Amino acid sequence: MNNHIEAAVQEIGKVLLGKEEQIRLSLCCLLSRGHLLIEDLPGMGKTTLSNALASVLGLSFNRVQFTSDLLPADILGVSIYDQSSGAFSFLPGPVFTQVLLADEINRTTPRTQSALLEAMGEGQVTLEGETRALPEPFFVIATQNPVSQSGTYPLPESQLDRFLMRIELGYPDPAAERELYLNPVNASQVKDLRTCLDPAQLTAISAQVQQVHASDNLLDYLQRLVAYTRNSAEFAFGLSPRGALSLLLGAKTWAVMHGREHVLPEDIQSILPAVAGHRLQPTRDFAGDSAALVRNLLANVDVIGG
Amino acid sequence: MKIEQQIPRNALFWILLAQFFLLLPHIARLPGWVFVVYLIAAFWRIMVYRGQWSFPPRWLKLILILAGFFGIQASFGSMLGLEPTVALLLVAFALKLIELCERKDAYLVIFLGFFVCLTEFLFSQELLIAAYNLVCVIVLLTALIALHQPGEQKLQFAPLRRASLFVIQAFPLMVVLFVIFPRLPPLWSVPLKSNAAKTGVTDFMSPGDIAQLSRSDEVAFRAEFVGDIPRQSELYWRGLVFSRFAGKTWKPVGWQDTPALERRPQAPAGEMGEGLEYTVIMEPTQQRWLYSLRYAWEHSRNVTKTGDFRLVSPITVQDQYRYSATSYPGAALETDLSDWRRELELELPVVGNQRARTFAVERRNQATSDLAYANDILDFFNEQGFSYTLTPALLGDNTVDDFLFNTREGFCEHYASSFVFLMRSAGVPARVVAGYLGGELNPVNRTVIVRQFDAHAWAEIWLEGRGWTRVDPTSAVSPDRIEWGLERALAGEGSFLADSPLSPIHFRNIDWLNKIRLRYDAITYAWQLAVLSYDSDEQFHVLEEFLGEITPQRVMLFILAAGILSLLPMIGVLLWQSRSHLPKEVRIYNKYCHKLAQLGTHRFPQESPGDFAERAILVHPQLESEIRQVTKLFETIAYSGQPGRVSLAELRHSVRRFGVLRT
Repeated sequence: MNNHIEAAVQEIGKVLLGKEEQIRLSLCCLLSRGHLLIEDLPGMGKTTLSNALASVLGLSFNRVQFTSDLLPADILGVSIYDQSSGAFSFLPGPVFTQVLLADEINRTTPRTQSALLEAMGEGQVTLEGETRALPEPFFVIATQNPVSQSGTYPLPESQLDRFLMRIELGYPDPAAERELYLNPVNASQVKDLRTCLDPAQLTAISAQVQQVHASDNLLDYLQRLVAYTRNSAEFAFGLSPRGALSLLLGAKTWAVMHGREHVLPEDIQSILPAVAGHRLQPTRDFAGDSAALVRNLLANVDVIGG
Repeated sequence: MKIEQQIPRNALFWILLAQFFLLLPHIARLPGWVFVVYLIAAFWRIMVYRGQWSFPPRWLKLILILAGFFGIQASFGSMLGLEPTVALLLVAFALKLIELCERKDAYLVIFLGFFVCLTEFLFSQELLIAAYNLVCVIVLLTALIALHQPGEQKLQFAPLRRASLFVIQAFPLMVVLFVIFPRLPPLWSVPLKSNAAKTGVTDFMSPGDIAQLSRSDEVAFRAEFVGDIPRQSELYWRGLVFSRFAGKTWKPVGWQDTPALERRPQAPAGEMGEGLEYTVIMEPTQQRWLYSLRYAWEHSRNVTKTGDFRLVSPITVQDQYRYSATSYPGAALETDLSDWRRELELELPVVGNQRARTFAVERRNQATSDLAYANDILDFFNEQGFSYTLTPALLGDNTVDDFLFNTREGFCEHYASSFVFLMRSAGVPARVVAGYLGGELNPVNRTVIVRQFDAHAWAEIWLEGRGWTRVDPTSAVSPDRIEWGLERALAGEGSFLADSPLSPIHFRNIDWLNKIRLRYDAITYAWQLAVLSYDSDEQFHVLEEFLGEITPQRVMLFILAAGILSLLPMIGVLLWQSRSHLPKEVRIYNKYCHKLAQLGTHRFPQESPGDFAERAILVHPQLESEIRQVTKLFETIAYSGQPGRVSLAELRHSVRRFGVLRT
């Protein structure tokens, strides 16, 4: 199974150069059946990454460009009166797919952002009193510009909490960027990526993740981390139980990706910035951003205990 | 006022409650207005707290203080003595409430409260009082804790729990201090209780005295026998011997009036018979004489014998007094009567009671011997319509005549007194003995409880060859009194403890209540035995037993050892709590980290075992295999959930061997 995952990483690496860590994290997120939020400036390869992810997983893919005048119906779908049959027929929106790329999700109003809440939380949408199931599996990969950019509506905490991970891509290193200048990646290249994992394998990986062992020592470490966020003065609020569960889930998937049947503290440390970063906020007294906050958290909690 | 100087409302409540608890036991012995002062002061303070009134002005406080002084003076007639001083303290304690505004005032009240707590022991050291004072201490501690929780707006019970915990934790220390702390003589002299005239046998006897005593159910003493307990009718506790009769009143012979040779008892002649061994714990009497069965020959060191075969204490019995003795009921007392004593025990007033004197001489002449004469008189009491009552008619000037030939009703002292008078008139040496008869047997701990209503007077006559022989004229009139005690003897009259209808003695026939009463009495006895009688003497013995010879070094060592011993459990608990939450493998791994730290490589808290291993290998490439092995073992045990594959012992072993060869 690891070969397939490794192959997927390599495959995406062909179109997103020098970003192996981010690719692994985003794969880990999808293999954990979690939604992914990619935050960065325009032109950093957010869309490329999401397209590539959908391709290597062999899933159907829809893209919605979020704008300030986008309405919920534009995403979910709408009923139209059919004159020939004299009845309303439902026209499914772009949400009815396996991978939904919500591009620049913070450009739209909170009303439209919230239209995704049910879909992300429960894998279904309710329209005009009728509940419709979404295809299995269903992932939302959202991208957003940094909140400081103009014309953005920051996602509310409840919406942020629905994303298992938030990753930042960052500038590529000089070598990778030079490679990019020489061989620009075009859209068809992304479409033509080899499918590395089929749906059956996805299910198998999910089952494998369930089997991963988390020892008492590891849960102690997890609880020490969570307790630190709740008791330390630099955090505006602590990590919720859902946040803690997300950490554990991500760490288990990470362990599977590294061919282990148990979780090590390194697993938690690797995925913690991505899983906890968007769930934690510094108090006003703290002179740093949430990344610094997570670094503090990791540095101050003893892995072994005692 | 700054917030840290304010008194939290929670603390105010606890202070009020503590004061109430502290004043409550004093309510019976102090004038009621002292308590009223407290209620008014507390009400005032509550009104201040509610913001309705303000603190009283200075002139009013001054007036209140003066009024308190004058009130005490008026109530007690004096500012001296124990009760007035305690009352003064309590008034001041209560009045402090109305100027309780800053934290320092609260400290004063609370610390004064601990002192007030002590004053209670000046009056009573009973078990219940001790337990009650413990409650007071807990409430005071609660107030002290609450005082350090600023901002508490409502009544909180959390400090009460904490205070109780403190008291429990202090318990071992208290026991150690109780055993070893020197019993210092009082630093200042405590004024005597003004109402110290306790009920009890007095050193003179006139008709009606003992009848008066019989109205009280107070405990006189408790006795514990080593072997079998003799029958109740044999328990004649001798306390005083009255040899001098002044027409109405009987008095003992003073020690100064006794010739030097007569001050010690004669050694018993002939067979002593079986001995009775017993220990007595006496309630304070403010007197010196003690109670013993005849004939107490051996006794504990704190007691001396007198010429009339009694035991006395060298000092006034002001606190509970414990002594032991062995008595020989079968031994003959003073078979050789000295001239001085014969003269003393035959002496009668020159005039008075003429009729009785003639009667005595007549009867003696008819009888064959002194003993026959005594029996004749007893028969006279028995057959001539004499009756036994707590409320006899008053007697005239010639008390004996009046009693023998007119009223013919009386209590034991009437019978003993007139019997001895008749004996002496006929030339038989005789004397009145006062003490207690019988007592209640407590089956719980097999002690005999002797109460004031067991007070009794009887006679002793001296017979040629037999010495002093006990004759109890009351037995001729009311055998019930001897066999069953006073309650049965007065059953028809209904005058038993008529003045105290609520006395628990009345409820003896309610079985469970009686069981509780006896059980409590047994606990009281144990309390007296173990705690109250632990004086400097006893302490000396105990320490001697522990230490052999008592030297300052040994005492110091003992104190240290006892202190450490009492602290050990706490230290143990703390250690256990601090260690137990770390799993074994983590403790072993920490040792490995410690070894690496000694080599100069410290693990950062955020470093996982794997990361640390990588870094350590960079620094110590020669240790690579060992580091990898320990890390792998630890990761397997701590995280894999399949520790069966490697054992803890393996990890311990490799950590123990780690670095040994190379450093």
